Amino acid sequence: MIGPFAYSVLIAGLLLAGWAGIWAWMDKPTGEALMIAVIILEVALVVQSALALLRLGSAHLAEPVTFIAYAAGILAPLPFGFQLARIERTKWGSLTLASTALVAAVMTLRLLQIWRAPGA
Amino acid sequence: MPDRDGSDPSPTVDPEPAESGSLEPPTGPRRILIALYAIFALAATARGIVQIATTFASAPLAYVLSLFSGIVYIAATVGLSTSRTWSRRLALSACGTELVGVLLIGAASLIDPAAFPHDTVWSRFGSGYGFFPLLLPLLGLLWLRQTRPESDR
Repeated sequence: MIGPFAYSVLIAGLLLAGWAGIWAWMDKPTGEALMIAVIILEVALVVQSALALLRLGSAHLAEPVTFIAYAAGILAPLPFGFQLARIERTKWGSLTLASTALVAAVMTLRLLQIWRAPGA
Repeated sequence: MPDRDGSDPSPTVDPEPAESGSLEPPTGPRRILIALYAIFALAATARGIVQIATTFASAPLAYVLSLFSGIVYIAATVGLSTSRTWSRRLALSACGTELVGVLLIGAASLIDPAAFPHDTVWSRFGSGYGFFPLLLPLLGLLWLRQTRPESDR
């Protein structure tokens, strides 16, 4: 679909999860730079989903409904983790954000897999 | 060493203050549980609905199981995120159902793969979801155990 872009998002999600994970490890709540990075990644995810849905017509997907569900659902975890990290100003907030960033990365991987799946 | 007999009312050095059960607002590790459960509730329910709506006839058992697991995750999310009198009981029964479900379906899908040709969230102990379906109920039950009210101990 949008191979290089999706892989960048995937790597960014993993890096962000690692960043938040290290913050949790060091017993720190999320900092401002981390939160800005989350917003940037979420914007990238919105762009990715928009591109994917726009190009849906020209693709032959085995499971189009699943793909659309993923493209929409992938936007949910990060804002959720962001909000929880803002309320919870402890290492647990950082760990929550790390786990939701990881979920976003895994969902990107699933999006890529469904896109690649040979059309049945 | 400072004298630490029963009359000392200031356990300030305790690194992990015990949370006093379900009547507290959600904090700390409970938030991660809620976040992960909410995500799984969404994922499993959406998956079940999509499967039942599009290709129900090809594997009714697996798809009904997907939807059922989604509903159990929703129940667990509600139980963990609310602080009512029934919250702990709801979370406990939901986590227990999940643990039994993932163990039963996981074992059954390995023993008799032919009976489970279509994956569910719980197939092969949740290996399709990074074994999180097995880990989540354990974490949930552990948390419930850690925070059980004094009267239950």
